[in-house]
Amino acid sequence: MSEYYVCTGCALLCDDIEVETENSKIKTVHAACRKGVARMKGCSDPLECTVDSENADIDFAIAKAAEILREAENPLIFGHGNSSSEAQKLSIGLAKKVGAYLDDTSSFCQGPVIEAILQDKLKTCTLDDIRHKADVIIFWGADPSNSHPRHLSRYSYFPRGKERQRGWEEDRTAICVDVRKSETAVICGDNRFYQIPMGGDAEFMDALLSALSSKVPKTSFGFDAKRILELANVLKKAKFGVICVGLGLIYSLEDLEPLFRLMDKLNEVSDFNLMPMVGQYNMRGFNHNLYEEAGYINRVKFNSETADAEHGPDFSVVEALRNKTVDAALVIGSDPLSSLPLSVSRYLAEIPLITIDPCRNLTSSKAKVTIPCALGGVESGGTAVRMDGVEVELKKILDTENLPDAEILRKITEAI
Amino acid sequence: MGFGQFLASPEIKLKVVTYRDVFQNTAQETSRFGEEYEKSSAVIKLDPKDIAKLAIKDGDTVIVKNSSGRVVVKAMKSDYEDSHAGIAYMVNSPWSNSLVPDETGGTGVPKFKNFEVTVQGAKGGKVTGISEIF
Amino acid sequence: MANVMEIYQLLPKTNCKECGKSTCMAFAVDLLARKVSVDDCPPLVNDAKYKAGYEKLSEMIAPVSGVTDTGLIVHEDKCIGCGNCVVACPVNVANDPLGAGSGKAPTSDKVIFKVEDGVVKARNVQECRRFGENRILCVACIDTCPTKAIEFV
Repeated sequence: MSEYYVCTGCALLCDDIEVETENSKIKTVHAACRKGVARMKGCSDPLECTVDSENADIDFAIAKAAEILREAENPLIFGHGNSSSEAQKLSIGLAKKVGAYLDDTSSFCQGPVIEAILQDKLKTCTLDDIRHKADVIIFWGADPSNSHPRHLSRYSYFPRGKERQRGWEEDRTAICVDVRKSETAVICGDNRFYQIPMGGDAEFMDALLSALSSKVPKTSFGFDAKRILELANVLKKAKFGVICVGLGLIYSLEDLEPLFRLMDKLNEVSDFNLMPMVGQYNMRGFNHNLYEEAGYINRVKFNSETADAEHGPDFSVVEALRNKTVDAALVIGSDPLSSLPLSVSRYLAEIPLITIDPCRNLTSSKAKVTIPCALGGVESGGTAVRMDGVEVELKKILDTENLPDAEILRKITEAI
Repeated sequence: MGFGQFLASPEIKLKVVTYRDVFQNTAQETSRFGEEYEKSSAVIKLDPKDIAKLAIKDGDTVIVKNSSGRVVVKAMKSDYEDSHAGIAYMVNSPWSNSLVPDETGGTGVPKFKNFEVTVQGAKGGKVTGISEIF
Repeated sequence: MANVMEIYQLLPKTNCKECGKSTCMAFAVDLLARKVSVDDCPPLVNDAKYKAGYEKLSEMIAPVSGVTDTGLIVHEDKCIGCGNCVVACPVNVANDPLGAGSGKAPTSDKVIFKVEDGVVKARNVQECRRFGENRILCVACIDTCPTKAIEFV
């Protein structure tokens, strides 16, 4: 004990985890939440190395994977949410080499918000800033009690911080805006929970904007104007406010304009930051890595001759599969057959498919080539980027015969 | 065998909101193919009024379908205090994703948290297994 | 969570005193506080006509491991290991301000709550503010729990 490890269960990347091992297995995990423990202890369905559903040795599988990518005209490389930054960078290189479509899970998750943050269109802060300073915290379309269980205890509500010494009851106000009374909403309390109808987020934002401008807030769903004015007052008085943006809000907005308007206003009357509630442990890392390399955070297609990147919705994983514009796919650190609409992902089973993952999943069950990799943060080290953009070093805890994700990609790239 | 089997089960239209659940997520980490994952995923949470309209009991299986797909899942009474008749909740999973339409309006983002389905009692029909979803 | 009347309703209500208590209501109170167990009521165990009541009560008053002297129970099946109680507990904050009190894994042996294998474990309960001479009705761990996994009986 006494050495701390990082949990890769979600993009909070909690770095205060102690483990006890026995017979090269993790026996006890300290401080991680329920789902983090399940991640760190590993799955009961490890992926096997196969080609055409037959067990294969790793070199043959890698050669086969390289052949598929080499022969494809428009291959897709997708996933990356559960991949180390090292692997992500190699993925980008591989996509350039073979002229692939390249995308990650942010494409249908937090992408738009991360993009706006990287382009300085939204003011943001670190999780540590939130712990030390935040006095007003809004969870909007987010339920961290289920998606990021330690968010409230480590950073956003309960801990003491430099400027928040007196505990949550006196020092912090937590507010929840959602279409249902989630477990996070219950913690915020009935007075601080604003239940809006499905799709009502943009309107509620504009009503709040009116209230912040001392106008009467109106919504087509007749939300109690007094409560919106009350909320505006709390936000105006905030010394350091933060809006934690969840998928509930992102999916509900047609574009980010209402969010930009609200954030601008909040920063006129007060000081507000935005925190994207990124799910998978290194989704934000992929966005950073690709942005650095190509100037876009996701949804690109590389030209193999010029290595130039085209970018736009047409190059998103969803449109590429929907329009059947790709003819082979490499999926790494993701399970699109589980996480995308089946009406979209079904096409993956029709094309030569390669998966790289520590565990069996729906996508691997349809893959022509499956290559098991080491579990990031447990069986292999590397770097990852937390939901707030802070880079975190992952350490290896256990030995494994499986190669790290980056090593597999390096070998595939070399074999092309 | 009662007379009931010859009557068509009532069918209702509902909007579905998907959400995340830490217990289901934990089960997913352990195994996508495990019993626990199916148990915590293949569920639709309904308002008591909608359960009454469907003439089913809490815990019965229902057919949930639309033009994108069809699954049989367990119907459970939601524990929200406020009535939400007309709106159902499903945890984000391959079962809910079987029903998410592929339309995106060219944005690349499907409506994961807002889609329509029809629901009907399955008269004891078995929950769709993960390997049958595809 | 069961209340004393619900428990009483499932008992024989004969005030037979076989358990050593003067009334079934007294037994119900003790059962709720886990001072006695369902099996301490002989008629309930032996008489077939109370079988339904026995089974229901056995389920309700599930033998919770680690009922502490302060009556603190952690329902491990409900706990998600979020650590809200670990960080909110005033005793944890006082005894470990830079660890538990600051949101991190506890660094002191004197904390009451600690998350292990994804669920919270209670220890050092004699330190709990609900215990001892100057006890107060502290609810920090209960109010901050998203799944109602902590209760005092």
